Amino acid sequence: MSPAPPAYTSVPVWTREPVVEEPDTAGLVHTVLQVGPDPAAAAVVADWCAVLAAAPPVRVLPHVCADAEEALRALAADLQDARVGHRVLVAGSARDCLAVRAAALRAGLTEEELTVGVTSVAVRDVWCVHCAATASAEVDLEGVVACPGCSRSLLVYPHVSRRSGAHLGFQVDAEQLPEPSGAAR
Amino acid sequence: MSPARISLVVTEVTELVPGVRGLALAATDGAPLPSYPPGAHLVLDVPAGDGRPRALANAYSLTGENVEPLEYRVSVLRCDPATGAAGGSAWVHALEVGDKVEAHPPRSLFAPVRHASRHLLVGAGIGITPLLSHLRSHARWGAEAELLYLCREGLGAHVEDLAALAGESVTVLHDRAAFTALLRERLRDQPLGTHLYTCGPTGFMDLVHLEAADAGWPAGRLHAEAFGTADLDPGEPFTVSVDGEELAVPAGVSLLEALEEAGHEVANLCRQGVCGECRVGVGPGSGPVLHRDLYLTDEDKAAGDCLMACVSRAEPTDDRPAHLEVIL
Repeated sequence: MSPAPPAYTSVPVWTREPVVEEPDTAGLVHTVLQVGPDPAAAAVVADWCAVLAAAPPVRVLPHVCADAEEALRALAADLQDARVGHRVLVAGSARDCLAVRAAALRAGLTEEELTVGVTSVAVRDVWCVHCAATASAEVDLEGVVACPGCSRSLLVYPHVSRRSGAHLGFQVDAEQLPEPSGAAR
Repeated sequence: MSPARISLVVTEVTELVPGVRGLALAATDGAPLPSYPPGAHLVLDVPAGDGRPRALANAYSLTGENVEPLEYRVSVLRCDPATGAAGGSAWVHALEVGDKVEAHPPRSLFAPVRHASRHLLVGAGIGITPLLSHLRSHARWGAEAELLYLCREGLGAHVEDLAALAGESVTVLHDRAAFTALLRERLRDQPLGTHLYTCGPTGFMDLVHLEAADAGWPAGRLHAEAFGTADLDPGEPFTVSVDGEELAVPAGVSLLEALEEAGHEVANLCRQGVCGECRVGVGPGSGPVLHRDLYLTDEDKAAGDCLMACVSRAEPTDDRPAHLEVIL
């Protein structure tokens, strides 16, 4: 993959291509989330669990979740009374991993306590700055997507919110002057 | 190069506990002093003379009010020059009310992480001073905090101040084994979102970091205020080329001192590898560098294009003597 342009500071590398990170065996308790039924995600989780099982005494809390919503519920339950020393591992699409990251950070986890195993990067959430609706679509960074709220064509700006996991979208031609039409507008 | 000094006058001296002197310093015109973040320190100019071969710049953690203070408060442990100390703290202990002191404005290298949901403060001996400043801030803002303080009985400065600020969240211990046992227990019972701050002798902070790692704490949650690089050896002599000139740096003399003695001006502050002020460039004609600072990251060191002149030195290789090409 080409190196990230300088403006991509908030775009995790694992949202540009699938990356499977290694578990951090220094943690004492590990919440392991498989999001979606993708066999690739299941394989990542199986590898992780094998590594963790071989590590010094750690507690593993595995969850196989149908979708991101279910994963966030499982995560919230695990982190409710979690102590420092906890780690979160999430396998699934980049979109699901971003959603889990946002919830984990909100619960007090740090980036270095999160391990992702990304199986696909095709779908992105794009938050519209004009109407605050969120589009969810197969679109590349700096591509264009239609806003489901206000129908504007949104540029997928290379900024990813840590808080929501969505990309920033704004009207793609917002800074272009309208074509001169002869008649007064 | 160096930031402007502020002129202070000693307004109060007290012996807090045997060997530790509390100092209050006000602006010479009585005006409010610059505010500072909790955990910041003041760098005092210690003049040469009286057994000190050169002027020193000694950093002391600020312990008092941090918002538009009318005085800066520091607590200084006397380290005996007879046992190898540089003499800065002995100079502080000789100050009297009314004496004038020059200082750099406060510098912050150890501020609380504001998005942390809780703060675990772990200090030993005179290392309690920046943590007192943290605790003062947490008490004011209603932030959750817990403090563990290891000190010798009767010799722990600020024990009453800490208790007045945070009562039952403060535990003072005088026994290292009991302290380690409690630390181990407390490290395993901190809500997610807690950050840890430690200050004390190097060996103590190493213990805290080791125990924290054992309890699964990642490095990003650990914050330390270094006293400085403990007990560096005098090092081997080496040579330096700078501006077409060749200098010899004998053992026991730092690169910074050698450059200054040759008439080069190098911005500097702590002179112990902590502050990052005296970073100098290193050219391609240099041999390997023996980095001994606490400032440069591993990536900086790997790049091999700079060093901290106050503590780091040149290393010889099998086929050439120790040499640096310094770019100022």
